Amino acid sequence: MVRHSPVTGRYVTIDVDGHEYKVFYLHNGNGQPLICQHTAGCHNHQWRGLLEDEEFTKDYNIIAYDLPRHGKSDPPHNTEWWKEEYKLTAEHYVNFIVKLCDALELKDPIFMGSSFGGNVALQLALRRPDRFKAVIPVEAADYAPGFFLDWWRHPHANAAQVCASGVWDLMAPQSPDMDRWLTWHYYSQGSEAFKGDLYYYSVDHDLRDELHNIDGRKCPVVMMTGTYDYLTPPEATENTARQIKGGVYIEMNDIGHFPMSENHDVFRVYLREALRIIRERTGG
Amino acid sequence: MAMDVKSWATKFKNLTDNDETIQCMGKYYTCTFMFDMGEQKVIVEMHDGKVKNINTDPAPLDPYDFALRASSQTWREFGQPVPKPMFHGIWAASFRRDLKLEGNLLSMMQNLRNFTVQFELLRKCGVPV
Repeated sequence: MVRHSPVTGRYVTIDVDGHEYKVFYLHNGNGQPLICQHTAGCHNHQWRGLLEDEEFTKDYNIIAYDLPRHGKSDPPHNTEWWKEEYKLTAEHYVNFIVKLCDALELKDPIFMGSSFGGNVALQLALRRPDRFKAVIPVEAADYAPGFFLDWWRHPHANAAQVCASGVWDLMAPQSPDMDRWLTWHYYSQGSEAFKGDLYYYSVDHDLRDELHNIDGRKCPVVMMTGTYDYLTPPEATENTARQIKGGVYIEMNDIGHFPMSENHDVFRVYLREALRIIRERTGG
Repeated sequence: MAMDVKSWATKFKNLTDNDETIQCMGKYYTCTFMFDMGEQKVIVEMHDGKVKNINTDPAPLDPYDFALRASSQTWREFGQPVPKPMFHGIWAASFRRDLKLEGNLLSMMQNLRNFTVQFELLRKCGVPV
């Protein structure tokens, strides 16, 4: 008996700001599109639990992509990317996500991302509330300084281990060993992109003077943060949500900065509530 | 009442030397670090994944590569079986609490996988403060 997963993977080629990207994404489910962004320096396997969770896949068309330079999505094929330091910007990140949603012909998708994916969810709500039904920023805040560090790719250290163990205690001690070590494993694979991602996360992303321009009544914003997240501690997310018109904050107990990856069984309880709120506010 | 530092050192050494996660990749885990717990300091000397020596009464000029310095209260939180948020690791406590990472941090980064695992053994053996 072949034990195939219902999750399938495909590539789609898109052009963003002059870059040609061949983007890999995983997919399962039917219904309301729910597009998911992994965390910095990681890839779409972080969403493996959600992608196979029938409670969600029966009503949601779940798509988890690899951002270019992560997982199976290559750097651009039409530029000599190796001659320039990678530094992700908010503008390019937003443009990429919108182009990907257009290419996949997603109608009124809900966007969900964690960490730097959560921060870009806020950017989407600010810049393109017309394109998204709602956003779920996970482990996000208006500003998240302090992680754009040279250590992530210092040539005198084992960058794979520095990245993987450097994010270890972003996870909660209660999360299962297997899931924490799988997350560690994913992080050992993304060290070359991690620092460039964190340029966006800790430097280019700064919405401290922009939150009042996000209207959660047009594009609902449901923020969720774990109590063990030291980078975006609960109070940072709560403070951000409070400044967004109609913003919602949900605190997740006994979980950290990679909730979908470190403990899907706990995360899914809170996600169920976030999606319920979005249905209530959007009429379906 | 805090446990005697020599008893703690024996426990910490035994836990380290018998930890499968450290020992399976212990080769080259060689460095020396200080735990500064306020009223108690120790210097742990690692060699190829094993504890070579724990100096429980460091003199002012005894060498080490890097140090972790925090209040005794913070160290007691590190030693809980399930630490509270922000006391659950060296990054968390240095970003959000009073832990200071000092000295040759490159040495710490070069050994980060095993050092992180070893640090969490404090949840099993507690701390001597």
